[in-house]
Amino acid sequence: MPIKPNVRTGAIDWTGENPGMLLKTDPDGDWSVLMLYFRVVWSPVGPGNILLLYENPAKAAGMPDCCNVIMADNEALRDYIKEGFIEKLGTFGGAPAYAAASQLTIDKVVSAGDPCGDFYSETVTGGGLEVKLVWQELGKPTALELPPELTGTGDRIMYSLLVDSKSAYVEVNGRRLAGKPVSRQQAGLPLSTAFLYYSETWIFPE
Amino acid sequence: MQRVPLNQGMVEWSGENPGIYLKSDPDGDYSVVALFFRIVLSPHGRGVGAIILGDPDTPSGYPEVPNLCLTDNRPMMEYLIENFASKFPTLVGKAGVQAMSWFDVTDSHQDNRNMPHSYSERLCADDLQLQMTWKNLKAPMAVEVGPNESATKAHDMYAVFLEAADARITINGTALPGQVVDRQFFGQTMSTAFLALSETWVNPV
Repeated sequence: MPIKPNVRTGAIDWTGENPGMLLKTDPDGDWSVLMLYFRVVWSPVGPGNILLLYENPAKAAGMPDCCNVIMADNEALRDYIKEGFIEKLGTFGGAPAYAAASQLTIDKVVSAGDPCGDFYSETVTGGGLEVKLVWQELGKPTALELPPELTGTGDRIMYSLLVDSKSAYVEVNGRRLAGKPVSRQQAGLPLSTAFLYYSETWIFPE
Repeated sequence: MQRVPLNQGMVEWSGENPGIYLKSDPDGDYSVVALFFRIVLSPHGRGVGAIILGDPDTPSGYPEVPNLCLTDNRPMMEYLIENFASKFPTLVGKAGVQAMSWFDVTDSHQDNRNMPHSYSERLCADDLQLQMTWKNLKAPMAVEVGPNESATKAHDMYAVFLEAADARITINGTALPGQVVDRQFFGQTMSTAFLALSETWVNPV
């Protein structure tokens, strides 16, 4: 069924890219690593980059104890996304690592690869860390327009372009963190817990 | 209104596609048609590019007239022009599209840190420098259209538009002549300078 023309009158929350990974060492166990990266091209507090990385989501500790970090190059955007978005995602905002995570500055982000190819990566540098995020075994790009009840926050409309990833990992200063993506259902689709989301827009309901 | 959570169509490309259309005579045709592309996903990979037609109806390229295309990914740009941009109402049938000169980008820079006051893209090809600047940006607007309403008349398209009250294009520091004008766009009166962010084109089922 074709989409129908529409101009959304609801205010835009933010727009950009929002890839992530939720990794497990035991498919039946808890998450071993959680990661979300934001490349925001417009928000009410400006554009910027944010990396949320929990090396140990269950541990209420940050650096140097473990690599539970929130890195950003726009502090106002970091706080806006934390309060208005991450805290509404129970898996991320409700983890013991969230409040304890060290807040670091991003100096540089370098993208590589091709989301229609063999791999895609983001390398985030700052605060003495070089964090490499790698997505492989990439799926067919799929355009989504999800109503609030099908989104992670449950209260906003989301447009996005999903590229599923069956294999993904995180390296911190050359050290690979433990865990692999697992299968899950999202918005009625059988997907992996590693994903690229491009051209993603969050809109408050009209 | 019927919504489609999962678009079954084939995704063509996604990225940013801001534009600037200028007129020297408010009652005449566009004297400058310019589009910028920052592509994050396409069948030909990622990249940046710009189409500048400073003399759209003249079948000549740069430096005779300011009709030029700069890109760091020629196959991607050829795909975008053949299947999309050349079908846009502002470019369809324009002699400058086929005649424009092509240049390989050696450096690019986006400055989006001064929104809403300004936003700019700069592309360099050796000693050639193109700068596109959008000024006084208004609030963003999310749009979704089907084939009947999209610029190609063939695709679904999702995007976030920000109208710019003014805009300027310079080539090696010299501004192309003309002014931004008003037009009807999605039922609203908007200027002919705009950012189009988070834009995705889908070939519908």
